[in-house]
Amino acid sequence: MSREIKFILNGNPICIAIEEHWTLLYLLREKLGLTGTKEGCGRGECGACTVLVDGLAINSCLYFAVETDGKNILTIEGLAAEDGSLHPLQKSFIENGGIQCGFCTPGMILSAKALLDENPRPTETDIKQALAGNLCRCTGYVQIIESIEAVVDKRIEDINVVVRETGDSD
Amino acid sequence: MKKFKYLISKTLDEAVSLYQSHGDSAMYVAGGTDVMVKIKSGKVTPDYLISLTHVGRNSEIRINPETGTLHVGGLVTHRTLEMSPLIKLQYPIIHDAVQRIGSTQVRNVATIGGNLVNAVPSADGAIPLIALDAYVNIYGSAGEHSVDLIHFFEGPGQTVLMNGEILTEIVVPKQPPRTGGAYQKFGRRAAMELPLIGVGVLITLEEDSNRCVRARIALGVAAPTPIRTLGAERYLVGKEINEDTLNEAGKLAAEESRVRDSIRGLAWYRREMVAVSVQRMGLTCLQRINQLKAK
Amino acid sequence: MEEFTVIGKRISKVDAVDKATGRALYIQDFKLPGMLYGRILYSKYPHARIIKVDTEKAKALPGVVTILTGEDIPPIRLGVYKDNPPLKSGKVRSCRDEVAAVAALDPEIAKEAIDLIEVTYEALPAIFDPEEALKPEAPLVHEDHKTNVLKMPWNLHYGDVEAARLEAAFNVQERFTTTWVTHCCMGTSGAIADVDNSNNLTVYTNTQIPSLAQKDFQETLKALGVKDRRVRVIKPSIGGGFGSKLDTYAYEHLAILLAWHARRPVKILFEREEEFLATSPRQPTVTYISMGCDREGKLLYRDMSMVLDNGAYTSWGATTPSVMMMPITSLYRVPNVRYTAKCVYTNNTYCQAMRGYGNPQATFAIESAIDMLAEAADIDRVEFRRINSNRPGDVTPQGLRITSCGLPECIDAVSKNLDFGQPREKGIGTGLASLIHVGGGARIYKSDGCGTMIKMDDYGKVDVFTGASDMGQGADTVIAQIVAEELGVKVEDIHVFHQDTDICPWDVGAHASRTTFVAGNSALGAARKIRLRLLAMASKATGVSEDKLVLKDRAFFAEGSPILPLPKLLRSSHFTPKGQMMMADNFYDPENENMGRDFRGNMSATYSFGTHGVRVKVDEATGKVEILDYIAAHDVGRAINPMLLDGQVHGGVLMGVGYALTEQVILENGRNMNPDFRDYKLLTAMDAIHSKPIVIETVDEKGPFGAKGIGEPGCVPTAPAIANAIYDAVGVRIRDLPITPEKVLAAIKKKKGAVSCGIDVFTQKEQPCE
Ligand SMILES: Cc1cc2nc3c(=O)[nH]c(=O)nc-3n(C[C@H](O)[C@H](O)[C@H](O)COP(=O)(O)OP(=O)(O)OC[C@H]3O[C@@H](n4cnc5c(N)ncnc54)[C@H](O)[C@@H]3O)c2cc1C
Ligand code: FES
Ligand code: FES
Repeated sequence: MSREIKFILNGNPICIAIEEHWTLLYLLREKLGLTGTKEGCGRGECGACTVLVDGLAINSCLYFAVETDGKNILTIEGLAAEDGSLHPLQKSFIENGGIQCGFCTPGMILSAKALLDENPRPTETDIKQALAGNLCRCTGYVQIIESIEAVVDKRIEDINVVVRETGDSD
Repeated sequence: MKKFKYLISKTLDEAVSLYQSHGDSAMYVAGGTDVMVKIKSGKVTPDYLISLTHVGRNSEIRINPETGTLHVGGLVTHRTLEMSPLIKLQYPIIHDAVQRIGSTQVRNVATIGGNLVNAVPSADGAIPLIALDAYVNIYGSAGEHSVDLIHFFEGPGQTVLMNGEILTEIVVPKQPPRTGGAYQKFGRRAAMELPLIGVGVLITLEEDSNRCVRARIALGVAAPTPIRTLGAERYLVGKEINEDTLNEAGKLAAEESRVRDSIRGLAWYRREMVAVSVQRMGLTCLQRINQLKAK
Repeated sequence: MEEFTVIGKRISKVDAVDKATGRALYIQDFKLPGMLYGRILYSKYPHARIIKVDTEKAKALPGVVTILTGEDIPPIRLGVYKDNPPLKSGKVRSCRDEVAAVAALDPEIAKEAIDLIEVTYEALPAIFDPEEALKPEAPLVHEDHKTNVLKMPWNLHYGDVEAARLEAAFNVQERFTTTWVTHCCMGTSGAIADVDNSNNLTVYTNTQIPSLAQKDFQETLKALGVKDRRVRVIKPSIGGGFGSKLDTYAYEHLAILLAWHARRPVKILFEREEEFLATSPRQPTVTYISMGCDREGKLLYRDMSMVLDNGAYTSWGATTPSVMMMPITSLYRVPNVRYTAKCVYTNNTYCQAMRGYGNPQATFAIESAIDMLAEAADIDRVEFRRINSNRPGDVTPQGLRITSCGLPECIDAVSKNLDFGQPREKGIGTGLASLIHVGGGARIYKSDGCGTMIKMDDYGKVDVFTGASDMGQGADTVIAQIVAEELGVKVEDIHVFHQDTDICPWDVGAHASRTTFVAGNSALGAARKIRLRLLAMASKATGVSEDKLVLKDRAFFAEGSPILPLPKLLRSSHFTPKGQMMMADNFYDPENENMGRDFRGNMSATYSFGTHGVRVKVDEATGKVEILDYIAAHDVGRAINPMLLDGQVHGGVLMGVGYALTEQVILENGRNMNPDFRDYKLLTAMDAIHSKPIVIETVDEKGPFGAKGIGEPGCVPTAPAIANAIYDAVGVRIRDLPITPEKVLAAIKKKKGAVSCGIDVFTQKEQPCE
């Protein structure tokens, strides 16, 4: 059965007729051509299909497309700024060796984003826990964790800078 | 994959009547993390999925101020439980279990109600709740009734729910003071594991000693349904809780378990792990009770 | 030390931006106009006669375009031993045997059609244990082969092992086993085949061997009666390789056959379950080893024999003994060596090479036994390894010529960083193990070569066309760095093409950690040709002699200051009469040797070494092993890109830890019991180990800027290092992988004197502790 749904996709409102048995992953990849979201297992076990729904990381391979009605969806394609400049997590994964074959990368980065949005100063354990559902065969996770830590450290630095600046102006 | 219609119900009554009008070809769905996996692998082939997520109730965690009972809506996600300070501080045994169910992605959508109704022997959610003597509220065309969680399960994948009944709420009675609980999922990896064995222990101590006045030992994957090991519980009552008595209780619990060989683990090993985990979780209970006292 | 501008720098992978933004295209993401979706029907039985395949119902399903069975295809034989037709007829020999294939309008229809195909089988007695399969009464997997033993005799004997055994002061004799583990590439296998109206074939496929795949596909065309057509192999971004893509597989040939019949492009893409069921895992081994040393701890002999479970067909897994020979004959100095290996057909899944190509299995036995021998000789295990360490200038019994060799430094680095002398706590122990691996290519084929073409444009931008294959390990980045260094440009100026056989030159494939060395040298050679021409032109244009000119940062420098921008020189070469283009090609084939009849030969132009050390904590009540510290020291020649190098090591180590502790493809009577990530225990981020890589740079004289290969070594010594640490911690020796908590606990109980581990509730029988 088809049904019309409306949602925000990477910042843009869209309205589309879907079949009720579609998964969000299917909708994104096959109907909307957003192939940045990957399918590694289709069973919720690998996290390659991770996208954010209203800010929460979910496995789009198990998520009903119908349920996106009225929600806000972020995929890897929507992470960079409008002018194309990369998100700090993307930059950090690139610069710190967080990417090898890249198949797990979109899901990893989105899981990391959900984590940092909720908890700007995660510990290493927090990071590992947040990534536990994103399997990676290439990296051994070490440089992925380091990539995220680098963003956290950078943010802490930025915060310190701001604090110092305001301190100075006093 | 099987095609189906996805029906969104806005009230419990609507859900129940939808279910009844579609009979066997309908299934409820909450987070869908069990249902979708089963549909994709062809284990179930519903024509209709009736979504419960929009019924507008049963998705909160609260304490009844009069009775002190904890109420967890059937639609509460594992993630909500995991992040709840109330659960973390007052019901660490639940926190132990839910924080290690699947991944963040799974916990963000998967519900405690779905976990119970799905009724696999390895479900992590049931064990701590059984140890806490929880009961569930059930809503159906004949109205509402409750069942003790320990009697909710009838076999793998089978519960007492009939005819489109919905699990609306889990209710945990107020725990006496000096009660501590802990749950351990015993697996091979540090995450994304179904337990080889799941062990929940809850102990209440006498006011000023380490003597046990009440004990609960609940096991997952130790039988076709979650079980309590009554012999081991009885053994502990009246005894000083320490490494030795817990060790003995562990052995008794292991004897009571009806574990099996499977590709996930061998029976002898599971039995061993019941013994070890009961002891360790018992010690964690003790620690937690003493921490409470310290505060 | 030489000053480099790009070599030795932590440079981001050249394709990382595309991968971080979701733009990189994998086989999953490709769709051609008019494309059909193919699907494969696999056997229900591990061994059975096919009585009848009825496709009538499936054919009647709307949307089905083509159905093929074993009877419908010409004789095509795949694999090294040419024993594997892409569709089976007459008989199936394993549960992953392809029985029929369908092409349909969409994947769902294809799936439905597969379910509608009715196959009648007559089950045959099957054989699953390779040692049982050796017996004369065992059922034959291939009747016409007359025996289950592959006719690939792996036998070598250098020196005199029996005499050495008599001489030895200390001996050990042991049996070790390993089981199937699988690559688990996060991107599943897939291919699209497209045959045009002139019968030219294009195949988009995940492959590590584009040039050899081209030849295999050519064969299939030939079987279809088409000769002399073009075969083009296009390689999308690959979601992980690790050896899995070193052969061509039935699904690729079935895509071709279906496309040929349907006259439309056909895509076959594996689902995860299929990936587990129908791809080829690492070969399981049964290893018998004996080894002896003199009073001073000098190794005198090593005697090994192995039985390898080949499965029902033959791919590169069967040739892993050729690589195992390297550690067997040459890991540490050992004058007398004997080795025999038999690859045996069974009705299990057939095997393939996987990261390390046999080396992890062999090293598990060798390095476990080394610890046991050191203990027997009462010599410290680190010292024991130092005594026997390989040294530069050695020629090993197999004829491997050790040139650069940082093994002693690796052993020292591990022992320093792990502090073996730390006071012991209960349940905590340390272990170490070393490795040797080919680091300068490996002459498996007649050629070990790789071609490169380079062209420069008007602005100093460089296109590099390489035969190398990148599967995520960063081959393209390393090549870009090498070329950038040589041509004095920036890595951003370089575009490396490695995806298309129509454009890229020939190469034998991404195996044996050969890419950095062989493709690197090939690229370096091509770049050097251009560099020399540029220098000559610059000298002419500036009047400064060539030896005074330095090419770097996109310009020519004389006495420290830039005097001529490179783009300017390039443009002038294009815009002058009798101008020239800056293009060059190079074919590099290292000076390594094929093995002779006696298996002697310097297989690789140089060898990589390494030592891993680990501290573990064993929970004596549960048998669980926790890794506390991990040091991985590798002699890499030179680290062209330390960041990518660390990445290879971290990834290799965790893969090795999985091999050691958790991973196994569980086959029961030939059936895969755990075809998903729920039960195949790939380690998660929560299990990640913060291993500490240590790089030993020995600057190999033959390597590009001194580099040697490092793709595989990271996962080679992990399992024995962990097994040795477990022994150190709790005194139990586990001889079969994976080292599950059950095995550790049973061994601990047995050591404490328990005979039984408990009573099985169902059988009411006592279960012995092993
Ligand atoms: C990758 C992965 C990892 C997992 N790991 C774990 C784990 O570690 N531990 C664990 O215990 N489980 C695990 N699970 C299983 C699953 O996530 C849980 O069982 C989850 O709690 C199910 O909740 P749900 O809301 O998704 O249920 P659904 O799939 O929506 O429903 C499950 C069943 O319950 C019924 N149902 C749901 N809600 C109600 C209700 N209120 N009243 C009546 N019937 C209802 C449905 O009809 C269906 O039969 C995992 C699953 C996946 C995919
Ligand atoms: S594809 Fe969704 S979790 Fe693997
Ligand atoms: S980078 Fe290959 S799976 Fe993570």
